[in-house]
Amino acid sequence: MDPSSSGIQEPFDLIRLSLSERVFVKLRGDREMTGILHAYDGHMNLILSDVEETIMIVDTESPEAQGTVSVRKHEVFGLIPLQYLVLQVAKRKMEMLFVRGDGVILVSPPSR
Amino acid sequence: MSFFGFEQTDLEKEKQQFLHGKLDPSDTNDLAVYTWGEESYDGLGDALEEGGDDLNDETFGRRGTVGTDFDFVGATSVPGAEDLRPKPRTPQIPRDEPSSFYASRSSPSQAARQPASSQMSLESIWDDKSPLSLRLNGAGRTPTSSGRVQSPSTLQQPIGHGLKQTGARTLQEIEAEMRAAAEQSREQNLQRQLLERQQEQRQEEEYRRLRERERQEMERELLQRQRFVQQQQEQQLHLQRLQQQQILQQREQQHHRTPPPRMLPVSQSPRFLEHQRLLLLQQQQEQQQQLLRLQQLEEQLRMEELERQMRGQQISHHGDNYNQNHDRHPSGPTLADMEALQLLQQQQRELIRRTQSPLNPAAQDNGLYAQQPNLQLQQRLLNEMANAEFLREMQGLSQADQEILRAEAMRKIVEAEKMEEKRRRKAAKIAHMSRYNDLMTQSDKDFITRIQVSQLVTQDPYADDFYAQVYGAIMRSRMGLGSDDERVLKFGTSGGIGLGVSQRGANRRPNAMQRMQQQVERIVSNARRREEEKGMHSLHSLQGALGRTSGRSYKAAPRQLLQVDANSSPTLSHAQAHGHIHKPDESPNEAAADAAAKAAKLGREALGEHTADASELVRKDPLTHREVLVTLETLYDLVLLLEQLKRNPAPPEDEEAIIEWEIEFQTILDKTWVLLKVMVPLATSDPHPFISILSVAKGKKLLPRLTRHLDSQRMLTLLTLLIACFSQLDVIIDAPLLDAPEETPERAEIERQTQAFLSGVIQSILPIIAKGSLRLVSGLLGLLLDRNDIVAIAKTRPGLALLTLLLTRVEVIKESLHNATNLEELPSPEDADQWQLMFDHLFQLLTPHFPQLFPSSRTPPTEQGHHRPGMDTLDQPVWQFLAALALHAVTEQHQVLVTLLREKVLDNVMAVKKGWVNDEEERQTKLANVDLFLHALGLDSSQIAM
Repeated sequence: MDPSSSGIQEPFDLIRLSLSERVFVKLRGDREMTGILHAYDGHMNLILSDVEETIMIVDTESPEAQGTVSVRKHEVFGLIPLQYLVLQVAKRKMEMLFVRGDGVILVSPPSR
Repeated sequence: MSFFGFEQTDLEKEKQQFLHGKLDPSDTNDLAVYTWGEESYDGLGDALEEGGDDLNDETFGRRGTVGTDFDFVGATSVPGAEDLRPKPRTPQIPRDEPSSFYASRSSPSQAARQPASSQMSLESIWDDKSPLSLRLNGAGRTPTSSGRVQSPSTLQQPIGHGLKQTGARTLQEIEAEMRAAAEQSREQNLQRQLLERQQEQRQEEEYRRLRERERQEMERELLQRQRFVQQQQEQQLHLQRLQQQQILQQREQQHHRTPPPRMLPVSQSPRFLEHQRLLLLQQQQEQQQQLLRLQQLEEQLRMEELERQMRGQQISHHGDNYNQNHDRHPSGPTLADMEALQLLQQQQRELIRRTQSPLNPAAQDNGLYAQQPNLQLQQRLLNEMANAEFLREMQGLSQADQEILRAEAMRKIVEAEKMEEKRRRKAAKIAHMSRYNDLMTQSDKDFITRIQVSQLVTQDPYADDFYAQVYGAIMRSRMGLGSDDERVLKFGTSGGIGLGVSQRGANRRPNAMQRMQQQVERIVSNARRREEEKGMHSLHSLQGALGRTSGRSYKAAPRQLLQVDANSSPTLSHAQAHGHIHKPDESPNEAAADAAAKAAKLGREALGEHTADASELVRKDPLTHREVLVTLETLYDLVLLLEQLKRNPAPPEDEEAIIEWEIEFQTILDKTWVLLKVMVPLATSDPHPFISILSVAKGKKLLPRLTRHLDSQRMLTLLTLLIACFSQLDVIIDAPLLDAPEETPERAEIERQTQAFLSGVIQSILPIIAKGSLRLVSGLLGLLLDRNDIVAIAKTRPGLALLTLLLTRVEVIKESLHNATNLEELPSPEDADQWQLMFDHLFQLLTPHFPQLFPSSRTPPTEQGHHRPGMDTLDQPVWQFLAALALHAVTEQHQVLVTLLREKVLDNVMAVKKGWVNDEEERQTKLANVDLFLHALGLDSSQIAM
């Protein structure tokens, strides 16, 4: 009876519900963004406005500078001790953004 | 012996044919036409060193006989060449000693001989220019190439060259030919002499010019010069014509040898062959035209040369001027020019007329000759100048004047030259651009257009091109054009094409549109015909029975990656349709039955008569966010449907269609109305479903588009519901967050919602209130006061906007009271009393909170002690509201207002007067705000003394 239960037929219908709403988008390359969704297509190309992008930068440089060459070699193979991982977060804002669909991992309404 | 793979047998046959068919064999015996050994024989042949042939076999390879393979012409045209052909009667004879061979054939009966002119030696015959050697060099591939026939008759042309003969020639002919050659060479000499003489004359002329500088014998000089011009012209024209012919012929040859790109075979499809045939036809025309062109070019060049001479005499002081001019000839009309000319003639007459230099406005058909009038003008100009010079000379003008005159002439000539250069460049450019003209035939173009157009045709041109169409409509209305200008091409019921935004000043466009329309019509009719044929010939039904061959590639649009049903996506309407199938069972019934009653109830409530029949009330949970969003999407679909129906009304002459259309429209509208949930009982949930729908920004934005289609009764119901539930609105509930001093995402979101509400919801209820009677307005105000926390509402921008709206409407009504003519429109005294009651109530409720209405008062200052910038702008609606309030207030109420707001007013005025403002804009805003309120009280900010 309730249209909300029968209204969703395919995944894109869910995205459609978020049109002109604020959405949270997770992208490849450790990027996330929130913005107001204006348009999307079958490739998940998105047009967002009022976007705030968050870029995670995993800095492998150890906090203490005495990291030797051998440590660096380990870094190459991904065997870095956890305490050497430094997570940096860079943010930027954009008024209007076209997001290419091949980078989109997830689109969701923001958790309220 | 076979040269370059030519078949020996053919040549042999040819030879035989020649020997036996065309000529009497006996004649052939005496064929040799050697010219030496007779009267004019200078004995050089005897002096020839004929020895040293011993090693010939080693050098050339031993062969039994010397064939006539090299004799491609059949009967060679070169006298003296025959001697290499062995006599047919003695084919076995191995290479004789040439001397004896010659000697044996030098009989007195051979009358023909070379003329005495010593230039024609054997060597010259053997040199590269002879057709024989040309053949051997492979220059002419085909035995009878037309190019050969038109071989250039160059100045140093050897005898017989360029004459094609299939049979043997008579001696007379050969003689005549040789004479002609001699004549030519003589002529050549003559011309060379003329050239020298000209140069001499030029030097002489220069000398004269020097004297002219000293202003001596001016008159005679002029006469002489004129005479000289004529002389020179004659000479040069003669020379020129010869040269031109040479050049043109060479070019022609080039033209033939290297075909333009379009002539290179690309494929051998039937289309191509057809194309080729057309091209051949065209070529023939071209050749005809070339003849014409030749004459024209000649004319043109003559004019050019004339002009140059004039110029040379007028300015140049160098003897080598002539040579310069002479050298420039080949760079006159280039091949490109010629091509351009042709194209221009054929197609671009109009274009050329436009590109013509402004100097010759006279419209000429082809641009290349457009310079003729130009030159004539120049000439005339120069003549005039000369005349003027002469006259002034007679009057004894100073040398300075002359110099000025000369300089001016110089300048004008330079200008003309520049123009000429410009024109030339333009022509070259056009020629370059038109290289590929006619690469495609008209049918090719039509074919491609059809493909493109067939891709454009859609079932619903408006919806498929929605954004462009809407944008176009907005642009048109902004440009002041009629919005009825249809931007969609329709083709019956089969669909159409969206046309996009019309462009200004596009005079070619209608033409293109027409053509496109024709194209599409053709496509449609073709498709129909094909369908019919399919039905007629059952054979066609077997097509593809054994599998399909891949069709033309153009049909292969980008492969569809997502298998999404075009009907269901991206709209939810399909899905919603299911939902609605069940709906009519309940809600419409409910709605239809109770609509009138509920409307009445709401109306009563609006008028302040509270009825407490909450008996049938079924309490429900408020709509979830998801439900709201789904409802909204459905609503959007319906509204779009409504809008499209409005755009495509039924034809006025078809009554049945009109009724159908109206039924459809009404059905959709009813559906929308139901979905809007306005008729859901007031106390069903908190917030009311309708208010929930408005809690989303797109819901607020949808409302004006939706209310446009609602009738006034429904609108009134909607308005009543909205006002009754006003404090449930998100913009009211969240409004206090707006007073946060810091910028937060939440604040921004609420700001966004508030803006959407003001521009959406308030705008859509504005027309109702603006038309409402005093009774309605006071009823609405009563409802608002009764069901909501008026203080909370008054502290929000949407609430203030609504209150101001109501107060303003009453103010308008009051004003119309004074000058009203229609007594029926006047509100009854009871209504006026009712209003006064409501107003007093409102005033009373708000009185303690007047200062707190201002956002600037509510917002705590930041750490720096400053308010956010733009606070005055935020205060503006409050001042407006207070001004409206003051207009309705009585004197006591005025005093209350002034007492309470005194501080606020003084603050602002002080800030302005003491300059505690950041900029001029802030000052203006503050002052305007205060005055807005003070004026309503009959005061002014300037009256306030500090």
